Amino acid sequence: MNYQLLLPETFLFLWAILIFVVDFFRKEKKYNLAYLALLGLIITIILVVISQKGDLFGGMFHGDSFATFFNLIFLITGFLTILSSVEYTKKLSSYPGEYFGLILLSMVGMMFLASAGELLTLYVSLELTTIPLFVLAAYRKDDFKSSEAGLKYLILGGMSSALLLFGISLIFGLTGTTFLKEIKTVLIVKYLATGEIGPALILSFIFMIAGLGFKLALVPFHMWVPDVYEGAPTPITAFLSVASKAAGIAAFLRIFFRAFLIFQVDWVLLIAVLASLAMIIGNIIALLQTNIKRMLAYSSIAQIGYIMIGVVSASATGVSSVAFYTFVYMFANMGAFITAITFSNSTGSDEIKDYAGLSRRSPALAAMMAVFMLSLVGIPPLAGFMGKYYLFSSAIEQGYIWLVVVAILTSVISLYYYLGVVRQMYFQNSIDENPQAITVSPALRTALIISVIGVLLFGIFPHIFLNLANQAAMVFLY
Amino acid sequence: MLTGVSEAVYYILAAIIIGSGVMVVSMKNIFHSALFLVLCFFGVAGIYILLSAEFIAAVQVLIYVGAITILMIFAIMLTARLYSAQIKQSNEQVVPGLIIVSALLVITIFALSKTTWKLSSQAPETQTVAEIGKLLMTTYVLPFEIVSVVLLSALIGAIVIARRD
Amino acid sequence: MFQDYAYVGFFCLIGVIFVLFVFFLSRLVRPHHPTPDKLESYECGELPVGSAWVQYNVRYYLYALIFVIFDVEIVFLFPWAVVYRSLGFFAFLEMIIFLAILIFGLIYVWKKGALKWV
Repeated sequence: MNYQLLLPETFLFLWAILIFVVDFFRKEKKYNLAYLALLGLIITIILVVISQKGDLFGGMFHGDSFATFFNLIFLITGFLTILSSVEYTKKLSSYPGEYFGLILLSMVGMMFLASAGELLTLYVSLELTTIPLFVLAAYRKDDFKSSEAGLKYLILGGMSSALLLFGISLIFGLTGTTFLKEIKTVLIVKYLATGEIGPALILSFIFMIAGLGFKLALVPFHMWVPDVYEGAPTPITAFLSVASKAAGIAAFLRIFFRAFLIFQVDWVLLIAVLASLAMIIGNIIALLQTNIKRMLAYSSIAQIGYIMIGVVSASATGVSSVAFYTFVYMFANMGAFITAITFSNSTGSDEIKDYAGLSRRSPALAAMMAVFMLSLVGIPPLAGFMGKYYLFSSAIEQGYIWLVVVAILTSVISLYYYLGVVRQMYFQNSIDENPQAITVSPALRTALIISVIGVLLFGIFPHIFLNLANQAAMVFLY
Repeated sequence: MLTGVSEAVYYILAAIIIGSGVMVVSMKNIFHSALFLVLCFFGVAGIYILLSAEFIAAVQVLIYVGAITILMIFAIMLTARLYSAQIKQSNEQVVPGLIIVSALLVITIFALSKTTWKLSSQAPETQTVAEIGKLLMTTYVLPFEIVSVVLLSALIGAIVIARRD
Repeated sequence: MFQDYAYVGFFCLIGVIFVLFVFFLSRLVRPHHPTPDKLESYECGELPVGSAWVQYNVRYYLYALIFVIFDVEIVFLFPWAVVYRSLGFFAFLEMIIFLAILIFGLIYVWKKGALKWV
């Protein structure tokens, strides 16, 4: 067996250990461990890019192009998160070193999750992904809201794991195996023999969709999102809204496209309804928000609705559009959060009304925020437009016109609140007579520039990554 | 298959589990809730024995009864105002909650009873510990190793949350 | 196998019945004249101080937490110990990796001073 396939995951894990060890011996300026973590992430990105392809442990671990694509999403998100955490950890009074180590451990879980071809591995990796996140959400022990965020996330995360496990146990009872490949074979044989799939399978679909729906924050499993996103440290909120969701999407695609694609009539409609609910409810409630973190929380609920459109297509173009949109959503959403972090580091405020007059205080920051907002709406030539374009065309290909109509109408609604931020920045005057420019630290500046480049580059030249996304989708074609 | 005596034992255990489960969520004193949870976990261990899963039953007693509920009882006794307080175990959502849970129960029972399950033709394993060990060391070695990373991150997370630096 | 557990179940049943029976019996034969002094908790003949519900020291909790983690680890050692002779070096290596990861956890706890009783 080719154990080199596990190299990126193993390396990242050992690097996390290294961070804990270095943390033992550093007495002060522990926030500099961020740079050590960044170095580890760069090496892991290189390892992922040059990694070999192949399966391990009889299809338990897939080192394929799908895993590579999602691993890149996790690693780049982690990179941006850690860059934007440097300022934040300077202010942390306790355990600044563990902060970075826990982020890396969570990413190890995500990487295993994207590669899992077996339900037990998938479940254990999901736990590895979320357990450090519970802790990170509650990291500010002096802040009541942060503790509340951690507790809510823990309880609802635990419940969603239970739902997922119940679904998995039903599948195991029906097929006698936990390997996705074999589950598919057993179910097909059974279907051909009896001509029906049985209510228990549908029940297990529902439980698994509910369990993963919590991780993805699909409506109606979204109620934890606003409180957790508001209370958690903002870099962690950004990480949750991108990496954790991408991990959930990877798990969802692995399970449903590898094992249950032929039974798509039984679950696709449910996903379509949940997706349209997410788009409608997420966008409408986002209209009412005055806090930028809560607004972005609801907007991320709506965005997951758009991403699920590609899942509904249940085709190779669907998967590639999901992968591509997740990739561009990463840059735009991380960018928006990093701008919010920069703004609140300097002003201490997360309120949208305080963004008034930002274009005169800090023209560059305001311009970048405008780019991220417009990309999230999907205005050409930004990356969000190309992403939505591919998602919608994959759905039209499969005849889900109504879903695309809902998506376009809700996009128009989203225009209002995303542009509301732009309007505040450009057309409202600041309350202060003599507003100071926002100070942007070098780390945050780097993170912002990476995000802006991502949004512009993949809007104008989408083909660079669309090819990779297509390759990733080919994994499910056999 | 469950026949005669084992069927009777199954229903007794099920009654213990469900009864103590209801007590856990309805007792006014949270300490008593925790004690009923112990009983509930013992009942589950009994079900495992009935299913010839001796090792899992032992783990159930060792981890859930022996460690986790003790941890809960610790947490209750450490919290000054919790152990003797009268807590409210229901809120205004109890009626919609009941409706949804009963609907889910009916659907689940319907779905599970209408399904033909995959039954193994082999006799139940007598040496369950050895069989589990072999599977963990061969087929399921990857999740086995990931579990240790999960435990490590839980340990570090617990220290970060529970201890002042 | 079930027969062995039937004895255990029978023993549990007898245990419960015995306790209930003795309580019932004592209720039958004992006199029942409560006075406030009699109802007080018995604290070795001294006047009782405070409530019987004592608040425990928070440090116990951290130990209990660490104990749970290593308890789970030990559970994985049992099945391994039963079969490692027949599975050879590979199984040994797997368990060494598993233990090494958790021993790092122990070192972490130690280094952070969580095992110190201050």
